[in-house]
Amino acid sequence: MHPRQVEYLKKQIANHIALFFQPRAADLFESGMVRFLPLGQAVKLREKAIAIPFDIPVSDNQGEPYSVELNRTRLTFSNPLPMPSGGGWNPLPNESTPLWYANDAGTLIPAWNLFGTLFHLLTFGEERGSTQRDGHGRFAASFSPRVKGDLLEVPAFNEAVAAIVAACAGLAENGRPAYDLDGLVKPPVMVLSHDCDELKGNDRWTQMVRVARIILPLFKFKLPGLDNLWWIIRNAFTPRRFYFDNATGMLDLERSFGYTSTYYLLNGSGGRFGARSKLAVSAELAGIIPPGWDLGIHYNYDTFSNDQRFEAQLDQLQAAIGSKPVVGRAHYLKFDPAKSFAFWRRFGIYVDESSGYADRIGYRNGIAGCFQVYDPDSNQPLDIRELPMTIMDTTLVRQYGEGAIAKFSQLLFHLSRVGGAMSVVFHPGQFFNPEHKAMLGVYHKMLIECRRQGAVSETARSLVDRVR
Amino acid sequence: MEIRLIAPGEEELCNQFQNRIYGKERSLEQWHWDFVANNYDRTPIPYAVVSDGGRIAGTQAFIPIRMIDSDGVYWTAKSEETLVDPDYRGQKLFEKMYAVLFDYAREHEFAWIWGFTPATKAFVRLDFTVPDRTEQLFMPFSSRSIPVMMAKSLGGKKPRPVHRLKIAAARTGCLAAQALSSIKASSGRKRAIADIDIRTMEKADEQTGDLCRRFIANFGGTTIYRDAKYLEWRLYNNPYCGSVVRALYKDDKLLGYVAFALGDDGMGYLVDLLVPGDDTRYATEDLVRMLLLEAVYGTRNMGATGIRGWRVNNHPFDKLIGRIAGQIGFYHIRRGYDVVLYNCEAGQKRAVHGEFDQWYVSRIFTEGVLG
Repeated sequence: MHPRQVEYLKKQIANHIALFFQPRAADLFESGMVRFLPLGQAVKLREKAIAIPFDIPVSDNQGEPYSVELNRTRLTFSNPLPMPSGGGWNPLPNESTPLWYANDAGTLIPAWNLFGTLFHLLTFGEERGSTQRDGHGRFAASFSPRVKGDLLEVPAFNEAVAAIVAACAGLAENGRPAYDLDGLVKPPVMVLSHDCDELKGNDRWTQMVRVARIILPLFKFKLPGLDNLWWIIRNAFTPRRFYFDNATGMLDLERSFGYTSTYYLLNGSGGRFGARSKLAVSAELAGIIPPGWDLGIHYNYDTFSNDQRFEAQLDQLQAAIGSKPVVGRAHYLKFDPAKSFAFWRRFGIYVDESSGYADRIGYRNGIAGCFQVYDPDSNQPLDIRELPMTIMDTTLVRQYGEGAIAKFSQLLFHLSRVGGAMSVVFHPGQFFNPEHKAMLGVYHKMLIECRRQGAVSETARSLVDRVR
Repeated sequence: MEIRLIAPGEEELCNQFQNRIYGKERSLEQWHWDFVANNYDRTPIPYAVVSDGGRIAGTQAFIPIRMIDSDGVYWTAKSEETLVDPDYRGQKLFEKMYAVLFDYAREHEFAWIWGFTPATKAFVRLDFTVPDRTEQLFMPFSSRSIPVMMAKSLGGKKPRPVHRLKIAAARTGCLAAQALSSIKASSGRKRAIADIDIRTMEKADEQTGDLCRRFIANFGGTTIYRDAKYLEWRLYNNPYCGSVVRALYKDDKLLGYVAFALGDDGMGYLVDLLVPGDDTRYATEDLVRMLLLEAVYGTRNMGATGIRGWRVNNHPFDKLIGRIAGQIGFYHIRRGYDVVLYNCEAGQKRAVHGEFDQWYVSRIFTEGVLG
């Protein structure tokens, strides 16, 4: 274990606490009560402290996940550890689902591989150790080992930090770990964003897709999708309706909730996987985005690992909107965790929101919040922060159907108990478009739920800037 | 049993009482915004309770609101939180709570006590008048707006087959109405004045107080005094549903504004519209049309299924809005709540005493739950 890895994870935990917990939690964490030690030293410690072993390798077999109640929610753990050998250790809160192993002196050791799990997740360990990729060269959610244990919706990092903070508070108060976070956790943070892939509904590719939807069923001896004819005609005459107009509508909706968001603008080459709207339309949208909201770059599909194309896209966007974007997200979420972060950083990007899944909702890095990207090859943190995208509009609805809002509410409630930020992307064309009936009103209902649960809003950049 | 003004520490109990009887989930923050954080900074707050051994058995409150007429700015009270526990009915608790509040109104020189209610009998017994009722301006964007419009007649019950048939018929008729509205709104859009700036008021403009004074000087009557402090509270800090405020400017001079919101029911709401009508460069009709269209397209783009606003009485500006709204595709629906009005002693010397047709009323007079 490289010492920089320990410092790195410690720093990520400290930043996370600074963002999502009250200052007292940061004081407790910085008080020296939490120690990162080799396992051999951790089990020998005999004082009131939390000893986190950092030299236990992460096993491919995560073990059977189990859950523990904390702060009126349930934390889920994998990679369980056996109780230290020798006398004097007791599982807490109980033997069957332990959160801590405690000795008589009050030393606590996590009952799961806390360090290994979190470091593995933040450094894209799952995908670095796998060769599986989908047609776009992406690591899909279905390839993750966590999909089997239903762990993709578990913010493992947040839960671990919540457990640490509660334990610190308990140790400071009465020498025993606590299982609540009364007054220590801040309201959940919503990080809203919109990928502006298409701002007009009459582009060639969108219209061709509609034509295909009419014709293709015939080859399967099914009725043609004639309703698409209506959308072809409608958007031919009113191309902005349900696209550009939706982008402005989302802005007003967020405004009425007191929330803000980031608009990621897609420019550069056109095509099926490229920008479907002209640069001038993006520039027009940029012109009406008020202070408090943010503008970012939606890295075009063909800029993937291509210096020349990326620079051209960036320059073109900068010229159109009058400032250089420093936040971004990859179109189709196409990126390579081993190379892309350093690549983007070279062009001035310091906040990215690409690390999410298109096939499922979930925490790709096990975190609802932001973290500094670490390069395990050079053992160096990079000067770029990732805020993993948790929920994509259509993915949520496809996965949970009519239960989509209930699922969102459940995830948000969990974050309100353990602290964290949820990144949600909603495309203008999906916001309120009768062509996609299942999506009607979903974003509004999500914001209502956010307000009900007292969530506050930050943009990815404003959140990162607090700890950068 | 004690009948008195609310005591410190009873806020949560009062809110829980309302939530229990009405089956709502109003938060303490929302309660606080309504009754404590409003623009009236006097204590105790005008919130009467019936306390039976620590149990709240009844509530009746005022939200103090400043209005303006040709004599100047003055305080009035909006009646809210009318509720008596069903177990305590028949004991004239409503009257007794109001007796406490009438004293408060007298002491604090409120000119009128007013409100909107479907149950006027109890108020009439207390010498309130019922001068008018609210009516609706409505423009459908989608037939999905019909169930929302008809939800009130169901009273939260599951629709019966007959009612479902009615909704289905109304939805079919709505398609034609929607098409006509769409054509009218589009043609209205072509009449926008090019040299006027349309801006979103991100925070309340300090010019709004003066806008109200100019409005009264031009149209007469009385209305809520919408200075920046009031708008900040009512529209921007509204914890139920914030509004978007779009304003017309010429060389940084405020010519008028419209506030609109998307209610949690998916319906758009025309919350407020004010144009003083004293600018000689532009016709008031044109400014009202521009603002109404901002609300129409603004709420439509926010995902509303339709937009509704109030049409209340014969105030010249209310009538003007009604006329322009009709031109751009709104429909006038004669359904709403009764207005109840009590003339306090302090109101008897005011210019508009006893003449409700001189009130300019918009949805900004509501509690603000839907914007």
